[in-house]
Amino acid sequence: MQKIWLLGKAFLKREFILFKRYFFNSLGGIITLYVIFLMLFLGFKGVGGPNVGESIEGLVVGYTLWMFALSAYQDITLTIQREAREGTLEQLYMSVYNFGWVMAAKTFAQSLINLIIVVGMLFLLMFTTGTFLNLDVVSLVPLVFFTLPNFFGLGFIFGGIALIFKQINNYLQIMQFVLILFVSVPVGSVPIFKFMPGSWGSSLIYRVMLAGESIFQFAASDLVFLCGIGLAYLLLGIAVYKICERIAIDRGLLGQY
Amino acid sequence: MVSSDSILQVANVIKNYSVRKGEPIKAVDNISFEVKKGEILGLLGPNGAGKTTTVKIICSLIRPDSGTILVDGIDNFQHRSKALGKISAVLEGNRNIYWRLTVRENLEFFAALKGYNPKELKKEIDYYIDFFDLKDKEHETANKISRGMKQKLAIAVAMVTNSEIVLLDEPTLGLDVKASYEIRDLLKKIAYEEGRTVILTTHDMNVVQDICERVVIIDKGRIIAEDRIENLMRLFQVKSYKFILKDRLTDEQQNQLLAIPHLTLLETEDATEIELNLENSQTFYQVIDILRIEEDTVIESIDRQEINFEKIFMDILGRSDEDAKDLAVG
Ligand SMILES: Nc1ncnc2c1ncn2[C@@H]1O[C@H](COP(=O)(O)OP(=O)(O)OP(=O)(O)O)[C@@H](O)[C@H]1O
Ligand SMILES: [Mg+2]
Repeated sequence: MQKIWLLGKAFLKREFILFKRYFFNSLGGIITLYVIFLMLFLGFKGVGGPNVGESIEGLVVGYTLWMFALSAYQDITLTIQREAREGTLEQLYMSVYNFGWVMAAKTFAQSLINLIIVVGMLFLLMFTTGTFLNLDVVSLVPLVFFTLPNFFGLGFIFGGIALIFKQINNYLQIMQFVLILFVSVPVGSVPIFKFMPGSWGSSLIYRVMLAGESIFQFAASDLVFLCGIGLAYLLLGIAVYKICERIAIDRGLLGQY
Repeated sequence: MVSSDSILQVANVIKNYSVRKGEPIKAVDNISFEVKKGEILGLLGPNGAGKTTTVKIICSLIRPDSGTILVDGIDNFQHRSKALGKISAVLEGNRNIYWRLTVRENLEFFAALKGYNPKELKKEIDYYIDFFDLKDKEHETANKISRGMKQKLAIAVAMVTNSEIVLLDEPTLGLDVKASYEIRDLLKKIAYEEGRTVILTTHDMNVVQDICERVVIIDKGRIIAEDRIENLMRLFQVKSYKFILKDRLTDEQQNQLLAIPHLTLLETEDATEIELNLENSQTFYQVIDILRIEEDTVIESIDRQEINFEKIFMDILGRSDEDAKDLAVG
């Protein structure tokens, strides 16, 4: 266990070094996201209507959730894809730790950084729009924590597919938009939406941030479902990845053949 | 068969790659060999022979269809982590290191990946930074250092965790002469001073002749020769001759000569060159007898050929091709 912590530390160090060293590169992406948001925001205001205030709050939360979902899923997929292409994935596979632990350490480190960026963005969006949301940390931290595994699961599914079929970038682009759907479908009106990855967790986060509810007001069954669905998608993702990994090791696809 | 001092045993390894259309590719076709502790072994063969596949199978990166790899007695797919603790590799055409991390950060990161606490390995990391002459560049990101330095860094990364077996797939490819020589010296030092086992593939026979103690030559996925370098050199060196004749030969002489195996005949306007790789000394006299049929044939010189390993390598490959043809005909 102590050794696994060493691995975690190594990845934390690496991710923070890269974050600092390439801050201005990351800034480009952040600015783009901000500009897209501004356009959406101005569009919303233009439409107007009696509930515009509410829908802007919704937009802020939705956009933040989307950024979070996107970074969680993309980091895994893109890491696997990029490291396979550049030929460092094979070195990661030659670690004395099981690759699962390597990915866990990497995801943990990267998620911390994403959290910092996304929370920073959230404040920026709130100041920009002049909306102030209910940031009930006690409720939000566990909700976010149990919503993330949904997106990690997606990351592993696409990461695995990317190992075998190297050219999937077009599909990955489409996923960005599908994710908007996942974090914004009304789970209340169509029950089956509850089962989409991340949708249930997102709906609970909306309830805290917009309606001002607290996690203690949620039914126990709602929270159990939150954990269950997150775990289910994570396990599904890992299972798909494992199958792809097996094929890749059989066919020699961990590197760039 | 299992000798106690061998650190790596490759036994009956077979690997076929299935392809979308047509027959599967027989990349590795029943290969077995052993490597002794502290040895520098060259894994040689033409393009597509199956060297990289073999290396990656040893590294647990490609699963063989059948056969086993024992790393210090440990099966590398059944006890993957344990086996991988004893192996490190610099793989062909890969980056192997992170270009966006500095020299030192790379060494630290990969040390952690191999289960070490980078802090406890500080002495080793400092040592290899010095050893590979990277001190000035220690805080440069890897994308800013030269190709030779990147390669040295990749090798340093493979060395720093003290793994007993270091596999290097074409470590001197694309390097200039100086960098190539430096890396050779380093490899010798590592094997002789630290007692580590080095397995390398290369197309550069000078490298092989210079540093390998033993070679395994594979072609089309099969081992066609396996011996100590000096044995291969001795075997070939003393028995290769070049005859220079003043005049052209008669048809009769030519026909008789060409019936002798491993003999090449080169005729120009007013001279003849015969190159002969002898199977046994009998053929040497046979050639002399054929030349003496004509009184006019003047032997200007008979030279024992300077043979380098490159030539031996080509000969071994040539023979295995002939054998293959013989088999196909017979
Ligand atoms: N992942 C793969 N999928 C399908 N075929 C492969 C794969 N990797 C290698 N091959 C094929 O297997 C054979 C052996 O390849 P390998 O890379 O092991 O040869 P090599 O001896 O390393 O050659 P080189 O000297 O060119 O590096 C070749 O015919 C190659 O095309
Ligand atoms: Mg190769």
